[in-house]
Amino acid sequence: MNLASPFSLALVAITALAFLGLPIGHSMIAGSILYLLLAGQDMGTAAEQLLNGMYSNYVILSVPLFILAAEFMNIGSMTDRLMAFCNALVGRFRGGLAHVNILQSIIFAGMSGSAIADAAGTGRMMQAMMTRDGRYTPSYAAAVTAVSSVIGPIIPPSIPMVLYALVSDASIGFLFLGGVVPGLLMALSQMIIVAMTARRRNFPVEKPVPLRKLPRITWDAFPSLMMPVVLLGGIYSGVMTPTEAAAVAAAYALVISAGLYRSVSWGDFYRSLAISARTTASIGMLIAGALVFNYVVTVENIPESVKALLAGWDLSPVGFLILVNVLLLLLGCVLEGTAILLIVVPVFIPTAQALGIDLVHFGVVVVINIMVGLITPPYGLLLFIMANISGEPLRDIIRDTLPFLFAMLVALAILTFVPETVLWLPRLFGYQG
Amino acid sequence: MTASLRATGAWLARRAENVASAMLAAMFLAFLLQIAFRYVLGLPIGWTHEVSVILWIWLVLWGASFVVSEREEIRFDIIYGSVGSGTRRIMAIVTAVALIALYAISFPAVLDYITFMKVEKTGYLKIRFDWLFSIYIVFIIATIIRYIWLAWQAMRGVAPDDFDPTKASSGV
Amino acid sequence: QAPGNLRFSAVFSEQDIRAEMMRQFSESVKAQGFTLQPYYGGTLFKQGTELVAMQRGNLEMGNIAPQDISNQIPEWSIVTSAYLFRDADHLKKVFASDVGQQLKKMASDKLGIHILGPTYFGARHVGLKPKKKINTPEDLAGIKLRMPGGDAWQFLGQSLGANPTPMAYAEVYTGLQTGAIDGQDNPLPNVQNMKFYEVMSQVALTSHLVGFDLLAVSNKVWNAMTPEKQAAFQAAADKAIEWSTQEHLKKEAELASFFKEKGLDVYTPDLKAFREFAQKKYLASDLAKSWQQGMLEKINAM
Ligand code: NA
Ligand code: NA
Repeated sequence: MNLASPFSLALVAITALAFLGLPIGHSMIAGSILYLLLAGQDMGTAAEQLLNGMYSNYVILSVPLFILAAEFMNIGSMTDRLMAFCNALVGRFRGGLAHVNILQSIIFAGMSGSAIADAAGTGRMMQAMMTRDGRYTPSYAAAVTAVSSVIGPIIPPSIPMVLYALVSDASIGFLFLGGVVPGLLMALSQMIIVAMTARRRNFPVEKPVPLRKLPRITWDAFPSLMMPVVLLGGIYSGVMTPTEAAAVAAAYALVISAGLYRSVSWGDFYRSLAISARTTASIGMLIAGALVFNYVVTVENIPESVKALLAGWDLSPVGFLILVNVLLLLLGCVLEGTAILLIVVPVFIPTAQALGIDLVHFGVVVVINIMVGLITPPYGLLLFIMANISGEPLRDIIRDTLPFLFAMLVALAILTFVPETVLWLPRLFGYQG
Repeated sequence: MTASLRATGAWLARRAENVASAMLAAMFLAFLLQIAFRYVLGLPIGWTHEVSVILWIWLVLWGASFVVSEREEIRFDIIYGSVGSGTRRIMAIVTAVALIALYAISFPAVLDYITFMKVEKTGYLKIRFDWLFSIYIVFIIATIIRYIWLAWQAMRGVAPDDFDPTKASSGV
Repeated sequence: QAPGNLRFSAVFSEQDIRAEMMRQFSESVKAQGFTLQPYYGGTLFKQGTELVAMQRGNLEMGNIAPQDISNQIPEWSIVTSAYLFRDADHLKKVFASDVGQQLKKMASDKLGIHILGPTYFGARHVGLKPKKKINTPEDLAGIKLRMPGGDAWQFLGQSLGANPTPMAYAEVYTGLQTGAIDGQDNPLPNVQNMKFYEVMSQVALTSHLVGFDLLAVSNKVWNAMTPEKQAAFQAAADKAIEWSTQEHLKKEAELASFFKEKGLDVYTPDLKAFREFAQKKYLASDLAKSWQQGMLEKINAM
């Protein structure tokens, strides 16, 4: 690549501006404008891509609504009661709340198809729970939420899997089933890390709750515990789409908090709206910047260059899968997941097919890679979101995610090399692959 | 800055936050209406979809222009967070100048694009796209002014992190 | 932008028949000194924004939806109405006729694009989850049929007698699976690509809208060519479009039997009843007011 090309210079500018402390959204927009300027293209394209990208990306609207839902849960005593319940179950183990965070992500994964929505939705609540009375450091709490949110789109429903099916012709139904075991395996790998770290870092043990108190605690938390049931039931009975479920989550939380627990004042209500609006704007700027920069990446045919580079290498199926894993993990460090899925992944599908790799297996592996990309710096959306929610420096959060990242890569290796882990459940339901 | 000017600024900031909150509330309501109309009344409506998307764009760009504070913005702070205030001031000036220059250079082309969009209207509410997208013009101008202010503050010797509204009002 | 370089953006994927059509076209126009620079999957410009990109000189070629053109030229809305074109052949004939010339001239004058021809991608049919047999528009009463967003599309749903429901394309699969919607209306290749057939029980071959886009090149490029070059360029487009149309017809026939194999009920309803119902609705609507006098009759007569 020519180091003085508009693309290289834009990439340097974006990296430099971001490292010098300019907000990342602004860095990407400014760098992309620099590209358009140097390439002699219409600089109005920056506005065009940002505005049309936001206008046509309907599913992303679930983000502000899940943020709002979490705020509504926080102002009521929903969070407290849910915490009391989880505490009663697993709090007695060392690092109990970290386990709760992961367990809760499994529940949320069944409600949402987006990791970003999971982090935005549960992140604030979990952050408050875990850091109360200094139980865990804020950066560790943020790291656990970031890594556990990765499970969201691996367990169905899953927006990335729908996108993969679109570019690969693989069955959405079987892809969804294929994600169940890997999602649980990811969660297990994270829990192992929590358990291993818990002793060394002397994580708090919550006071054991007597068994006779359990029915009462469960009853108190019951409306909150019903939330996933209401949402999943609502989605799977056709009352609402997965995007709309975000609004229902917010409404449900508001009704429970204000109506049932009677713990919401008008002031609380406004503050929830205001905080959510602020968070929405700062996360939205990041999405906006990615949309503009994606144009530059696309117009420069970066994915095509990568493809040309790979052509001619004589690879075995295992070698190819390793290569794809490494490449997607590297790309995940610098690019937005949807762009990778829609631009880079199609390049590999013909090769995967030719090598006899099952496309459902390949799809699940690809989606996991892209999800891991959400927590790998420098460009890791989940890290940014948790930095925003927790107010902690990015580097502290990254440091605390590293052991989890390692465990998840081990899990990914198992899922990559033992296709049965992915394909067992779909085959149980009649998948022929 | 005089006390009355500062009070006016704080008042305006609160009103800007009111507007952003109202936009989010409206988006929330539009979604609920959409579900209620389709499922409860069996009358699918589409304009709610359009309203939510428009509100989303306006909420993000309005919020980024007038509501989100420096502290709330998502940044990559590995270097930024570990240097002294003098270095951070220089970094703030450099990035501000680059941002102001690039946003200003793109401004005529951006204006041209957005005014061009008068040729299209939205599917339901028939809102002209130049009006819908005009918030981007507001965003660019507000951002340029904000960064001129930030650069000016940095030059005057106020390191970015010290620029904190809670501290600014603590003298009262 | 290097001279002879034709940036082309389209919503269809690189695996689509139309991507192969563009490869063939690109091979043919190499002789005229053109290099096609294609971007598929809506990655460069989002669906529906390609026309403005062409108008503003950010794109030399596009595969433009007629709905996008009618957004700026209301007279064009006639070609987006239900039961106007009978099939791919009728579509081709109309665009080759003086009606087609009139439409192309409007696009050239008002939008600055030269239309090379209509690219057929399959007739839209109603696909449903419920087993209820559909014979006439009355049978669709109360059926929640997903249609793309916007008044024009929703009206198309009404003109079938259904209860049109807007929903994002990406949500249609889950919508069908869960029953949030009862059906969708897409050409058969889309039904296959998006796996909608997995969650449908039947396809009523309503053929209510002949699906096509318009392969177009900006006037800036077109007008810079000599008449000989223009003729060769047009011939290359005609040839590629014709190949793609035939491929789509073949694929549609294959898919009809494929869906039957998958256990779906695939049948043709009373098309006459649907056609009369729809054209009556359109003529009574505001949309028809913008249509050119006599154009509907001319098209019907062809
Ligand atoms: Na979590
Ligand atoms: Na999920």
